[in-house]
Amino acid sequence: MRNYENLVIVKPTLTAEEIQASIAAIEEVITSNGGEIAARDTMGMRKLAYPVNKNERGYFYVIYYSIAPSAISEIERRFRINENLLRFVTIKYDTNREVIAWNQLVIKANKKASLPAGEAKVEEVVIPAALEEEAEEAAE
Amino acid sequence: MAERRKYKKRFCKYCEAKVDFMDYKDVGALRFSLSERYKIMPRRLTGNCKRHQDMIATVIKRARAAALVPYTVTRKTVVTAPFENLR
Repeated sequence: MRNYENLVIVKPTLTAEEIQASIAAIEEVITSNGGEIAARDTMGMRKLAYPVNKNERGYFYVIYYSIAPSAISEIERRFRINENLLRFVTIKYDTNREVIAWNQLVIKANKKASLPAGEAKVEEVVIPAALEEEAEEAAE
Repeated sequence: MAERRKYKKRFCKYCEAKVDFMDYKDVGALRFSLSERYKIMPRRLTGNCKRHQDMIATVIKRARAAALVPYTVTRKTVVTAPFENLR
């Protein structure tokens, strides 16, 4: 088992649900080939440095995982077939120093994932209340 | 002969900060070793040591492949405030 990191750029023309579905499909490709996902990092929709297939923006998503080295070629083959992906970058973390860096990145990504999740929960509570008020006003 | 030297003696900033690993997703950190036109700055201007220059070169090339940093800046795509749009 070796540590890897995959950055994928999903097409910006998809809707939010389609993006989530394609990300779930990407993770499924990794797990079905025997990979263990250690962390996920959502970089979100951002501007590309240069247009890719005439797209100016893209949805960036990073997955940290460990997998047998022989499975990487299969994963990359599946990614190439996937039409929802603009780009993917696979990085190998092999040497001692890189493995330490990988562990730190995983911890960092998990922290980042746990923090906004708490905030998002708060927002979720707030937003429906505001919507209900609007609905009540509209009803009146 | 010392007067003829164009640039003053420089030191490697990455060695001073004891950088062991660079993350290609951290575009702000790559800024030091990129020119305004997003070229990789030569070692004679930045003063980087060979080890860190090799590291930064691979990291910048990864960032370019991931569309985080442009390969080239032409007259059409040139921006007034570089790096601002990438944050």
